[in-house]
Amino acid sequence: MQDLHLFLANIWFFLLGLVLVLYVMLDGFDLGVGMLSLFAKDERNRSIMMTSLGYIWDANETWLVILGGALFGAFPLAYGVMLHAFYLPLLLMIFGLIFRGMAFGFRENADNKVPWNVAFGLGSLMSTVAQGFILGGFIGGIPMNGRSYAGQAWDWLTPFSLLVAAGAVFGYALLGATYLIIKTEGEIQTRNYRHAMIAACLMLLAATGISIWTPLRHAYVAARWFAWPNFIYIALLPAAAFFSFLMLMRSLQKRHERAPFFWSLGIFFFSFIGLAVSLYPYIIPTTITLAEAAASPKTLVFMLTGIGMLIPLMLGYNAYQYIVFRGKVREEEGYHSSS
Amino acid sequence: MDIFLDSLFLSRLQFALTTIIHIIWPVLSIGLSLFLLIIEILWFKTGKEIYYRHARFWSRLFLLNFGVGVVTGIPLEFQFGTNWAPFSIQNGDFFGNILGFEAAMAFMLEAGFLGIMLFGWDRVSSGVHLFATGMVAFGASLSAFWIMAANAWMQTPAGVHLENGRMIVDSYSAAIFNPSAFTSIAHMWVASVETTLFLIGGISAWYLLKNRLRDFYLVSFRLALLSGIVAAPLQIVLGDLSGDVVARHQPAKLAAMEGHWQTNLPGQGAPWAALAWPDREKQVNTWTVEIPYGLSLLTTRSLTGKVTGLRDIPKENQPPVALPFYAFRLMIIIGFSLLFLMLWSAWAFMKGHLALPYLDRQRALLKAWVFSAPLGYIAVEAGWITREVGRQPWIVYGMMRTEDAATSLPSGLVVTSLAGYALIYGLLLFGYLFFARRIISQGPDLTSPLPEPEKHSPSPAGAGPALEDRQPLAGD
Repeated sequence: MQDLHLFLANIWFFLLGLVLVLYVMLDGFDLGVGMLSLFAKDERNRSIMMTSLGYIWDANETWLVILGGALFGAFPLAYGVMLHAFYLPLLLMIFGLIFRGMAFGFRENADNKVPWNVAFGLGSLMSTVAQGFILGGFIGGIPMNGRSYAGQAWDWLTPFSLLVAAGAVFGYALLGATYLIIKTEGEIQTRNYRHAMIAACLMLLAATGISIWTPLRHAYVAARWFAWPNFIYIALLPAAAFFSFLMLMRSLQKRHERAPFFWSLGIFFFSFIGLAVSLYPYIIPTTITLAEAAASPKTLVFMLTGIGMLIPLMLGYNAYQYIVFRGKVREEEGYHSSS
Repeated sequence: MDIFLDSLFLSRLQFALTTIIHIIWPVLSIGLSLFLLIIEILWFKTGKEIYYRHARFWSRLFLLNFGVGVVTGIPLEFQFGTNWAPFSIQNGDFFGNILGFEAAMAFMLEAGFLGIMLFGWDRVSSGVHLFATGMVAFGASLSAFWIMAANAWMQTPAGVHLENGRMIVDSYSAAIFNPSAFTSIAHMWVASVETTLFLIGGISAWYLLKNRLRDFYLVSFRLALLSGIVAAPLQIVLGDLSGDVVARHQPAKLAAMEGHWQTNLPGQGAPWAALAWPDREKQVNTWTVEIPYGLSLLTTRSLTGKVTGLRDIPKENQPPVALPFYAFRLMIIIGFSLLFLMLWSAWAFMKGHLALPYLDRQRALLKAWVFSAPLGYIAVEAGWITREVGRQPWIVYGMMRTEDAATSLPSGLVVTSLAGYALIYGLLLFGYLFFARRIISQGPDLTSPLPEPEKHSPSPAGAGPALEDRQPLAGD
């Protein structure tokens, strides 16, 4: 029974990781496009940027809702404690997401686009920064007293979490720029090659800083990474991420259209596997293990049938939607002409 | 003021504010997606251009509505963790699981096909488009199913036991299909449909009154009317069944809803208080307008059936009385008003008075429809207030008290989030009403080209003359 429970908890750790990576990669490029819209040259370019997301931003944001629901059901203790600990950055993230959604809903119908342009750009920036704070605070560990959070409201705000927030901004901007390279042409595409280049370099800086600082600051990470012979295997992950970065730069220089986006996804993918490896078997670093936080075996099994087994289906119809809307943005197709 | 130092009170206020505003949008998403599905089936079957124009027109409202619904819904899911961590930790095994189901089964289905439904007219065949619309409508209703199952479980928990401070699920079927699940799901689903129908009917009636685009709006008016003939009476039956479940499983809530203090003695009937002023301190109604035997008859179907009064329930387990009492009455008045309007309209319809040439003689009826457009929403809010306030002081009825369920947060933190939510939700509501009004007053686009899917064209539609040239558009 104990073994079964642990096994199920491990499966759910994997599935939550998968949903988290999907959210970060997919809504990451949405939020990235949003932040880049702050630098859009004119109203037409901004409209193209928003149209490129019109058909998909809802679905991408939904991975966050699934992440929340699955964490709530599979690891109720972790859900209660983490959300308590990150009250303020979560509020910032939610407000940002609301501003972005407001922009999508209202901008097309408004005569004065300026307030909704600001809502779109700054809302995306707010959400991204908040997600960086949460990740940074999370890696930093959460103090516990029994079954509840024992820290303060501002504990998540540290120099380290500021660095992670900066990394999130550059990373999402990179995803957004490389997505726009696929969806646009001409002058706006050229701009995004440049934006992608800048974002990639800044992201590399931030990621290097985070990778060096994390094991120095957090003994549990150092213990996992620098234990022999684990080191050899684990070192493959940053190596793969760095390789993706080199390939990204090469594809940007060669003006490939699709490759930069997929190499950017690669950087995120390998970084998050690295995070999962550092964390395991904790769901809240150094205080709560997977098994301690997990729901009962019955719930975990029931959720596997109702959520876990649906993930391939969800991926399938989401992919179908991308296929239907493949190719360059058609300007007449946005929210702006949906009458 | 003291209440601003009480983080439990502030968290409750915040949850009430965000849910009360949020529910406005899902109601229309559920109903309007079904309406759009019906319209599109008609377009698919008949190929009549007017149905396509309707689909595009109401889709604009749907798009606006859905977007605001999504962004106002996300804070609810997260609030369970931020402000109600002890509730989440205790009940996550069931409650969190069900919220996860809603997201994965229903919400993603809606979002995953929404793009095709709204922007894909020229990109997919008409059959695939119809399928996408069907999935959006199915997702919206399935979402209502899971959310209502979870909420019904909080009202009448079943299939679980408490073990070391955690709710362990013994039987999922017993927990999901708990005693109030069926009535709750059905009552809310029909409420969404009915609210939508009266909104669509009201908007259409406004155009008919103004003598603008009458042939266009008569189609949606009649569709709303025909569906409403089923929905309005059905909702009253479902409301009665819900009351029955409350009487059996939540006697304190029933007594509060009805302002009923004293259990009737054997052989005597409990009166129904049509109006009253409940005094919780003295445990009586200060004044009341009563119908003898009424409450016994309504709840037990017998003149002298026993109905437990609030005085037989320990004071610390009693819900507030005045709020559920009046909210409940408001809901009932609206429910019956809408039924009456429906009967009136059905009568006019059967007499053939709701056809183009006779519309000007039906101004009173049309005005009543315009007036009724927002009533469904008010009834939904009143019903939810009755339901949730009546469950107090419990968050999970009989198993967890609300006061034990809140995260212990510094009150300043909750004041901050509450003020932020109040500001932003106010802005959202204002913006939504402003832009919804604009979409509605702009009316349909009757001139843009019909969809040309890249692969094959839709059923016999394409070649018809433009809408304005057709004469008896709504004559079918």
